[in-house]
Amino acid sequence: MLQVENTLFTIVMLIYFAAMILYFTFIAVKRDAIAKIAVCLQGAGLALHTAALVCRGIGAGRLPLTNQYEFATAFAWGLCLVSLIFVVRFKFPVLGAFSAPVTFLVIGYAAMQSKEVRELMPALRSGWLGFHVSTAIIAYGAFGVSFVLSIIFLLRDRMKAQGFLDQHIPNREKLDVISYRSVSLGLLFLTFTIITGAIWAERAWGSYWSWDPKETWSLVTWIVYAIYLHLRIRRGWQGRAAAIFAVAGFVCVMFTYIGVNTFLPGVHSYA
Amino acid sequence: MNTIKKIWRFISSMGFAIALLVVLAAACSVGSLVTQGQSYAWYAQRYSERTAALILALGLDDAFHSGWFIAITAFLCLNLLLCNVVRLPQLIRRTRAAGRPEGALRLSGDVRAEGIANPQALFERLRMPKPAACAAEDGSAALFASRNRAGLWGAWVCHLGILLLILGFGLGQMTQRQYTAYGVPGDLRPIGDTGYVVSIDDFNVGLREDDTVEQYTADITVYDMNADGAPSQSATISVNNPATLFGMKFYQNSTGWAAKVTVLKDGEPLQEAVVCAGDYLAVADKPELVVYLNAFYPDYVLVPGVGPSTATGQLNNPAYLYSVYFQGQLLGMNALMQDEELTIDEYTVTFSEPQSYTLIQIKADRFTWLALIGGLVTLLGLVLAFYVQPERAWAIQGPDGLWTVCAQSRKGGPIFKDRFDRAVSALNDRPNP
Ligand code: HEM
Repeated sequence: MLQVENTLFTIVMLIYFAAMILYFTFIAVKRDAIAKIAVCLQGAGLALHTAALVCRGIGAGRLPLTNQYEFATAFAWGLCLVSLIFVVRFKFPVLGAFSAPVTFLVIGYAAMQSKEVRELMPALRSGWLGFHVSTAIIAYGAFGVSFVLSIIFLLRDRMKAQGFLDQHIPNREKLDVISYRSVSLGLLFLTFTIITGAIWAERAWGSYWSWDPKETWSLVTWIVYAIYLHLRIRRGWQGRAAAIFAVAGFVCVMFTYIGVNTFLPGVHSYA
Repeated sequence: MNTIKKIWRFISSMGFAIALLVVLAAACSVGSLVTQGQSYAWYAQRYSERTAALILALGLDDAFHSGWFIAITAFLCLNLLLCNVVRLPQLIRRTRAAGRPEGALRLSGDVRAEGIANPQALFERLRMPKPAACAAEDGSAALFASRNRAGLWGAWVCHLGILLLILGFGLGQMTQRQYTAYGVPGDLRPIGDTGYVVSIDDFNVGLREDDTVEQYTADITVYDMNADGAPSQSATISVNNPATLFGMKFYQNSTGWAAKVTVLKDGEPLQEAVVCAGDYLAVADKPELVVYLNAFYPDYVLVPGVGPSTATGQLNNPAYLYSVYFQGQLLGMNALMQDEELTIDEYTVTFSEPQSYTLIQIKADRFTWLALIGGLVTLLGLVLAFYVQPERAWAIQGPDGLWTVCAQSRKGGPIFKDRFDRAVSALNDRPNP
């Protein structure tokens, strides 16, 4: 099973790469038909990625969400899923072109991690772990999409009205609403992540909140997105300022995800 | 008077909330970047003496319990409370008004479509409830429907949840009691000064085939020594499965090595006890003489440059690192292998029967439930704010019998407009009966 997963993982990486190239080609040659193929390819990649995760779960005999490799590949999966939903729902293939490189970077990061299946230490053997990590994947995916949307928002301001991009990138107002949708999805799931994590920590370590660096940084992330929400409804600060906070929020997400493990050891350092 | 009003307004304003949130995020990141709970010497070595002094002066060594951190949080709570109090009457009014046609019928709506023959069908396509018939100001026939008014409460409920969460956490921090007890099966340990004692009845380390630990399980019994007959309650606890006994929660926290220490005096048995690594034994008839079991290595190796270490977790080559003190003075320190003896004057000390001890954490926090409710209320608020979008639609019949349909969505904006336009064009696409 793990062998199958390994092969699938490689295929998925290739597909994501191909989809990324197709999205770029779509922007370069301005042909809608290419965007359609890219979207289909991304969908196919996602389906195979799902199959790979299922194989890993069966092979390891547990939820495949417990070490750096498993979380990284699941993160890429979440990013691909949420971006695909937004691309299709808002008929917005340019979003696909911007999010595909991020997805590819994350799955590339996964490829660099050790794929070894290790047995779980007792603290990780909890049903809450499944909830905690799977909600984190959706949250991170949604924040990734909001990051990309905010970048598009900020770039859009600088672009001259160009026929093609103008037609394919929604106006400021609509971009803002779409970005808001992805941040709200992310924030809701991040809140789930923090609460299920707190419940799990309470059962495993006897303390639901102990200011461990990973906990603290998830709180910082949460606060940054709360600031985004309030800026968005404040006159004079909508638009650019809010978009900058959405970008800052994703920087916090990435720091919580990679930086904390690297620079600030704590109880989460085995994850 | 005016200044008081201004201050009040500022403290309950969203601008202040944003400023506080920015400061709080910065405070949290600083608290996580500076290693917490270290001494001046530690910081001085890590950074510089000036930085170390600054860290201690600002309380950055215990940032999350420092006065300024608590002050920021307290201001945030005050801000949240005032914001919710100030907005409550307005929110009730708005919720009522959103369900009534009077206000809406005067508006032109965010989106509108004219010349609609069958407004009910459009309402249906917009997933509105069945509209109520009413009359516009000029007496023409009108229809009105609204949905998802609960969504207006999202932010308010979320703010309330955060208040409860902070309150529950703060009260818990102030009142919680925490103890630890450790030992090997057969040990009886007092739980702080509570008058309860915990007996460790059994302790098992469950290993998998590859020797990794699957689970630590302890059987414990707690006795209430304050009550007549010392009533008891028992439970089995393991990692991730704590138990509540006498209102306290017992956690299987961690484990370590213990060993039997035997003391002979002039070759005659004097005393025997199980000592956990890190713990000591005072010699029975000479308590100034103390033997520490500093550490235990199940598979002892001496790694050059590192010192004593263990190669595996298995009992292949057990070694005991001990130190001996007399009247507080260190007499000696060394590693002793299985069956080796340590002789101090007339005393002979041996270590044997290495075994695992359990460390049990005991906690009583009476406000965890409040923090949990706060968290769940926050979640509910977020769901209401994000996914229950208040919408209303109304229609007024013109003299030609056709209707003008208007609609409003609180947050849908251009996306709601797209949906509305699609619903209208779907209506027009339908073949005429
Ligand atoms: C930790 C602190 C806070 C969090 C997490 C938080 C969260 C939220 C959320 C999730 C929303 C809904 C946003 C939306 O619907 O798009 C919101 C709205 C709002 N918040 Fe906060 N908030 C916080 C503190 C405050 C404070 C202290 C104030 C005090 C003035 C405040 C004022 C508002 C206002 C006026 C709204 C708009 C309400 C509405 O749209 O009906 N917030 N907040």
